[in-house]
Amino acid sequence: MSSWWRPFAAMVWKDVTVELRTGQRVAAMGGFAVLAGILFNYALAPTGARPQDLASTLIWITIVFAGTLGIGRTFELEEENGAFAGVLLAPVARDALYLAKVVSNLLLVLVTLVLLVFAFTLFFGLDLGRSPLMFWSSLTLGAIGFVGTGTLFAAVTVRSSMGATLLPVLLFPVLVPVIVFGATSTSRLLAGLGADQVAGPLRLLAAYALVALGSGAVLFRFAVDDG
Amino acid sequence: MSRTSGGRTAPSVRGPARWAVVLGIVAGALILFFHWMVFFYVPTEASMGIVQRIFYVHVPAAWAGEMAFGIAAFCGGMYLWLGDERLDVAAETAAEGGMVFFTAALIAGPLWAKVAWGTYWTWEPRLTFSLLLWMIFLGYFLVRASIANKEQARRLSAIVAIVGALDIPLIHVSVNWLRSLHPEPVVLRQDGPQLDGRMLATLMVGLLAFTVVFFALFALRYGVGLLERTRPTDAPPEPDGSGLMMEES
Repeated sequence: MSSWWRPFAAMVWKDVTVELRTGQRVAAMGGFAVLAGILFNYALAPTGARPQDLASTLIWITIVFAGTLGIGRTFELEEENGAFAGVLLAPVARDALYLAKVVSNLLLVLVTLVLLVFAFTLFFGLDLGRSPLMFWSSLTLGAIGFVGTGTLFAAVTVRSSMGATLLPVLLFPVLVPVIVFGATSTSRLLAGLGADQVAGPLRLLAAYALVALGSGAVLFRFAVDDG
Repeated sequence: MSRTSGGRTAPSVRGPARWAVVLGIVAGALILFFHWMVFFYVPTEASMGIVQRIFYVHVPAAWAGEMAFGIAAFCGGMYLWLGDERLDVAAETAAEGGMVFFTAALIAGPLWAKVAWGTYWTWEPRLTFSLLLWMIFLGYFLVRASIANKEQARRLSAIVAIVGALDIPLIHVSVNWLRSLHPEPVVLRQDGPQLDGRMLATLMVGLLAFTVVFFALFALRYGVGLLERTRPTDAPPEPDGSGLMMEES
């Protein structure tokens, strides 16, 4: 089992270390998320709509856009230097590589989510409702599904001449369930409804996450191995 | 098997060509008969009037499109598993057919909706679902077109088709989360079809006609796809004197 876990852990550690040293993706995603909050404020002002009423929608849209920005660069650094070819030469299970990339991307998205929710709380006086734990469970489950599909598609688009511009075209149609069930559960929680009101959408978010991770773990080797 | 000038072994396209001719003739006859039924045989629906006749094109086109996308995802999966290039040709062919039929359904649906509902577009679950499916396969073709290494493009586009197909049940549930405006099924019901006999017959002929049209186009395009794969693309075209030549001044 250590032949699976060791490369998995090494890959996560490597990605986290690179991110801690450069801080590029966190800065881009976090900056994007906070700036989106500012732009939403001014864009909504003329309509008379209160941002706190639309908070759930704004959070999900912002995290999908910010996340796509960061996930699109999952393999770019390694592809630029041909380093990923070296990783692939090692006798490492491809699902371990995929899940390692998912974990490092998930950490990145969760950090961005913390920044985003903090900024929205500060800007719009967001109240996390009666069940902050359920609120974060919903965001985390949605993030797992999002990152699961996004990481697989990032491996697809890195080979494309369209690059990261292709990622949203592939990703957004299949992310509709995440947006629907995620926005439903968080809007109910922010409206002060109890945890029993969100059990259905949370189960469906978990189902999406399982499908995303399962299909990604199986299909990833076809995306990265040649021949 | 025959050999091309480039030395590559060309798969026989006689089978697909024969099927294309046979199915093409049957499809032509069925389409003519189907149109006679739509315009002259079937009675006009009482509440919606003449616009309801779009239903006989919309439903078969959506059916053929869904079947085609299903075949594309299945053949894509089998290609990843077995690596047989013919399966990729079949997947690409089916996906192209799916785009054609789904585009027809997506045009016919809003035309009907404008009259029936007073608007071209609403966020009705089945409409949204169809558009998302169309977008997934748009991504499929963008992947194929934007990756220079054809072998990679085939594998990566197959991944897009499979992920799209796997997510279809969840996309279906998610877009149904809000109440549907779409007419309830009138044929596939537990208590049997709730449709006038002549309307049901027209619909059934439409479904058969569109299915046969799809397979006729599939056979034709599949044969062309096989020939394309054996064409030596890197070699310059050989001047044979039959084409248009620019005279040197």
